Amino acid sequence: MRDEHIMSIIESAPLNALSESDVAKIRAHTQSCPECLRAFEAAQLSALLLRERAAVEAEPSPFFQTRVLAALRERQAQGAGLSFKRLWKATGALVSTMAAGVAALALLTIFAPGPQPTVGPQSQQAYSAYSAERVIFEREALPEDQMSYGQVLATLYEPEEDR
Amino acid sequence: MRANDYEQATDFELARMGSEGDEAAFAEIMRRYSPRVFRFASRYFRQRELVEEAAQEVFLKAFTQLDSFEGRGSMEGWLTRITTNTCLNLLRSARRRPELTVSDLTEEENTWLDEKLADVAAERHESSERSIVAADLAGRVLETLSAEDRLVLTLVDGEETPVKEVAEITGWSESKVKVQAFRARRRMREAVEKLLARRRA
Repeated sequence: MRDEHIMSIIESAPLNALSESDVAKIRAHTQSCPECLRAFEAAQLSALLLRERAAVEAEPSPFFQTRVLAALRERQAQGAGLSFKRLWKATGALVSTMAAGVAALALLTIFAPGPQPTVGPQSQQAYSAYSAERVIFEREALPEDQMSYGQVLATLYEPEEDR
Repeated sequence: MRANDYEQATDFELARMGSEGDEAAFAEIMRRYSPRVFRFASRYFRQRELVEEAAQEVFLKAFTQLDSFEGRGSMEGWLTRITTNTCLNLLRSARRRPELTVSDLTEEENTWLDEKLADVAAERHESSERSIVAADLAGRVLETLSAEDRLVLTLVDGEETPVKEVAEITGWSESKVKVQAFRARRRMREAVEKLLARRRA
């Protein structure tokens, strides 16, 4: 109900910016409407309070500049520390993994035994007890139950029909 | 560079030097504009420490943004925008008073209200004398409102800043400034009306 009275006029602009006709409407209406009169009085006080607030003056203290510059240096120092932290946070996991890998490789290089000469299965086959190579190259070390060099040659060149 | 040279330098030159880390240049900017920043910040905070804190924050932000000052507009306008945004953020983070009650008022504030109510009734609006009591009471009433309400009321109704300029300072549209001001006026008026009703009761 009250919204239909003068509220929209009161709130449409700062009171001192209202047109004369608007002010006249408000005055006329508030003479017969105590509710709107109270609202208008409150609006006038609000406007007055705001103007008083706007008149407040505050001066910077003599050490203001010094304090700001000190705060600036402090923030810059914090910023430098923070950026290192941020960098470490982003790359820390990768760097740690790489370091662990390098350390493991170093340990393996130092403590693991060197490569042993090995004889593969094919070589072993080649050196089987009755191979021709073994008979030829190791004839000195042949056990007695095996054929001698001469016997082998004789066997190899023996005519077919003699066998 | 000598101190006198800094005094002779333009705002743009100081901003360039400051952005390259020249503290003396930045100190000269503070010397020129800290009174304005203080005056502006004091509209929003009752306590002196808060005003100082806000002003410090403004200059710390300004220092980090010096390279964005291109010298097209005035440094005063540029700093006003930073001050507005800083104050708005500080007001948002500050706790709002739930409501101002009669018991919160000091004796001086009660006396002031009585006198002003009598003035209003007798239509003696022009006779108001500026006083610390009124400014403090205004600050306490404003503390019950939102940060945006406080900002717009202080600028539009308190300082009589044109809507267009408020829109530029805040980055809001002109329609938003008008709507915000309309609603803020209502809320402020209702807060004062409630306070007066309680005093009468």
